Parts: sequence; structure tokens; C-alpha cells
Amino acid sequence: MNIVEKYLARAAGLAQVSPGQDIRCKVDLVIAHDVTGPMAAQQFEKIGIDKVFDPNKVVIVVDHIYPAATVQARKMQLIVKDFAKKYGVTLYDKGQGVIHQVISENHGQKPGTLIIGADSHTCTAGGYGALGIGVGSTELAAAMATGTIDLEVPEVVEVYLTGSLAAFVTAKDLILTLIRHFGTDGLTDKAVIFSGPGIADLSKDERMTICNMGIEMGATISCFATEEKAVNVSETLTVELANIVPSAACPFSPGNVKPVKEIEGIAVTQVVVGSCTNGRLSDMEQVVSILKNHNVHADVNMLVVPASQNVYDAMEERGYCKIIRNAGAALISPGCGPCFGAHLGLAAEDDVVVSTTNRNFPGRMGSRQAQVYLASPLTAALAAVHGRLVDPQGIQSWEVK
Amino acid sequence: MEVIKGQVWVFDDNVDTDQILPGYAMAESFETLGNFAMAGSNIPDFPKRIKKGDIIVAGKNFGCGSSREQAPVALAQAGISLVIAESFARIFRRNAINIGLPVLNADLKDKVKTGDVISVDLEKGLAVLGNNSFEFNPLSENVLLTLNAGGLINRVRQELGVV
Repeated sequence: MNIVEKYLARAAGLAQVSPGQDIRCKVDLVIAHDVTGPMAAQQFEKIGIDKVFDPNKVVIVVDHIYPAATVQARKMQLIVKDFAKKYGVTLYDKGQGVIHQVISENHGQKPGTLIIGADSHTCTAGGYGALGIGVGSTELAAAMATGTIDLEVPEVVEVYLTGSLAAFVTAKDLILTLIRHFGTDGLTDKAVIFSGPGIADLSKDERMTICNMGIEMGATISCFATEEKAVNVSETLTVELANIVPSAACPFSPGNVKPVKEIEGIAVTQVVVGSCTNGRLSDMEQVVSILKNHNVHADVNMLVVPASQNVYDAMEERGYCKIIRNAGAALISPGCGPCFGAHLGLAAEDDVVVSTTNRNFPGRMGSRQAQVYLASPLTAALAAVHGRLVDPQGIQSWEVK
Repeated sequence: MEVIKGQVWVFDDNVDTDQILPGYAMAESFETLGNFAMAGSNIPDFPKRIKKGDIIVAGKNFGCGSSREQAPVALAQAGISLVIAESFARIFRRNAINIGLPVLNADLKDKVKTGDVISVDLEKGLAVLGNNSFEFNPLSENVLLTLNAGGLINRVRQELGVV
């Protein structure tokens, strides 16, 4: 068995599992946020029982619309707050950060922990050795009641990585390149395991960025191998990391990926750095490497959203916040920020946005006409100071013209 | 489950959940979600144009993106009785079944057009348009159990012996 099958077998209490098998797994952690949580709470109440399966294993994080942008958004916060109080589950409701980051920092799990989350990016957990599976609110309510989830053991696709990334090329460029290869539904109902000698150099932050966007290929589970080569896989794609170039997903699909070199010069009006994809300290380092010497272009709004209070603290200690502010960018309190078009920086029809987030569907960040390019924090920061898309690898010096 | 009959609305590939129910609408109360069904799509006034019982027919990867269950809830509230697509994103497919909205894998996008009226028998795996009929794999027993129970919550109640 490969690592996905081993972990699922353990969760199901079975010696062996194989692809296609229907299993019932015990869950280790059940998580939801202020947008999916209220509906899960409502559905849980309909079940008609007086406790969740284990209050220590249920966590709710208010991150999507915090501070509340509308009266209804505030009501949704209060619904999850009341639910947390009533059932004694853990609640983060002070703007501590994006759910996947908060969970990674505060609920340090053992390898193979099965996390069920009412958020599609729950797959981010693969970056630190857990198995994260995204579900909807009703399935989450059922998991809170029963402590189990019914799954079909997924077929596994292996991505075997060799070598190491070139200078100015990031984990984001790698995952975007993979989404281009597999397509936005290429891994639907499957799991992806990243393996090979190339994974040794990838940090936890980078692994979380890579696993985060597994869902953008349709994958049920994304994770990193604990052994050199995965077994029992349906397909292996070998990727030499040195061949990866700075890349961006062009409007209007995370799968519409091109090398930044091919789209250089496109004028940009807004830049967003943050989210569960790229809002961590190493992402902010990329931003500061540009902003420490250059100001944000006059035609650009730049918004920087730390993924958590802990990230924000570390940025402050290192002097990043001052550098970012002084360069003309706005720091926004930790959370999901403008990623999904509910608040804090919506794009108008003529806006061209470079964002480090994970989706650029029509209307995702505001107007259906707004053009959103998904890229690394480095590419985003360069676009912010130049007012246009610039290939990080093509820059011989950081001089801004 | 009886035969579903309704007018068809055809959509393309990769209709994501931001198009089915945009992010801003998630800050609205549950009871009004139907007013925002497909508000982010190329038919933003969809709820006003459809009748109760209408059917969505789409291409590949319907419901990709965000896990928001508000998306299938909005479709059901607006009156949609069935979504047929060449393929679905996993979370959307499970969400729809869990709230009792039938979804069916069938490649009908180029065989029917918006305005056609079709009849669909989910258990037999048969869609009928005029004199033409299209066969597809019927829903699995497990899915039918959830749909016939009226959704996952009712099934869980049965399993926990709450009922």
C-alpha cells in the first residue's frame, strides 16, 4: 500500500484497502469556518442529538468574512459562536487567520491524521503530513455527529520530483505547471502523492502551497510521500524541478497556465498577496525582497494579507510590515481577505489583478469581467512595482524602469 | 423516485461554484439563496427565468471550485430538480446528493438545447426527448438510498436511531 492507502486503512480499522473500495473512516479532526459552519450547525441541529462525537476534535475558525462586511455575515459569526459554546468545541473568532493556517499552527497533528473540513482547500494539510479532505456542510454535520466519514479509496497518481527549483522559481510555479498538465478535472476523485528526491528541499510552507492547489486539479487528497517511491499508483509523472519556470494562471481558469515570460508587459492595476495558498512567512520574504528597494507603482493597489496572526507577528519582528507599508502597500488583518470576492478589495470590470490566491474563475474576486492572474508572491510583488507583469527570471537586476 | 420531467437549461464545461453561487451571496440568509442561483454565470437572472422542476444540462467538471454547499442549495431553492453533466467535481456531487438534489453523469450537452423538455428516469437510466432516448448508468444503490431518504441528515438519523 502507498501512504494514502496506509493512512486510510488505519482510519478504517482495516489491514488492507485498495482503490474503489467503500470504507467508513474514523475522523481525527473536523473543521469548518464562518461561511460553511452556519449551514453545518443548522444541519447538525436537524439530526437531533445533544453532543458532537468529540468536542476536542471539532474546530471552527472565523476567517472568510472577518471583520463582518455585512449584517448577515455578522449573524453567521454569531451562529458558529453559539454552536461552539453549546457543544464545547474550539472556536477561533478573533481574526486569528485562515482556517488551514490556524489548524497547521495550533493543532499539530501526527502523520496521517484524517482531517475533514468544510472547505475545499482542506487538502492543504498534506503539506504537513496529514490527510485533509474537503466536504460540504451537510457531510461535515454528519461527521460531527458520527465521528466517521464514508469514502471510496481513491486511485493514486504519483508526481515524482527530481532536482531542485531554479532561483526565482517557487512552489507556486510548480503547482501551476502541474495544473496545466493535469487540467482542472484531471485528478477528480483521485489522490496525488508527491515523491522523489526533489521533495527533500521543499519546506513545510512550500509543501502546503503545493497541496493547497491539489483541489484545482480535482484531487480528493494531496500529500507527500514518506518513502522514496510510491507504490500501487495508476500513473507516475516525473518532473525535473530545474525545468519549472515562473508561471501564471491566466483568466479565467487555474488551468489556463502560461510561463510569465509569454505574458510579460500586461498592465496590472491590483496585486493581492495572501491566502491559504501563499500567505505564510516565506511568501512574505519574497514580497519584501522586492518592496525593500522599490515602491508600489502609481497605477497599482497592493494588498498584503498575512495568513495568520503568527505570520503577522513574525513579519513585525523582522520589520516586514514597515517595509510593506512604506512601499505603498496596504496590510490587511489576517483572514481570507479578497480571495473570494466577498470583501476587502473587490475588483471592477477593468481591473487586471495579479493574485497569489488559488482561483481566478469569472467573478471570483468581484466583477465577472475583472482579469485575474494567479502567480507566486515574487511575480506578484514584481508586478506591483512595475505596474505590469514581469518575468522574475528575466530580471538581471532589481532596477525598476 | 419518480420520473423527473422538466425544461432544459444548457451550460458549458467548468461551471464553478463561484458562478453557481457567488462569494458575496454567501453573506445572505439561507432562505434567500435561491435568488442568487447562477448569479455569477452568463445567465445572471436565472432564478427569474426558470420554472419549478427545470433541469440543468452541463458539460465537464460541473461544480468545480469552492466546497460551498450553498451552491446546490441555491439551485434546489430556485426550483432545479436535476443536474445532468458529463462530469462533476467531487465535492459538489456529494453536496447535491447529501441535500437530496439528484445529479446524473451523462453527456447530453450537445444532444439537447435550452428550451427542450426531457423526461429522466434515474433508476432505469433513461432520458427521453421527443422520439429520442438516451441511456446512461443509473444512480448507484447507495446514492439512491440517500436521495430517497431525503438527504444525508435523514440517513444519519436513521443510522443513529434518532428517528
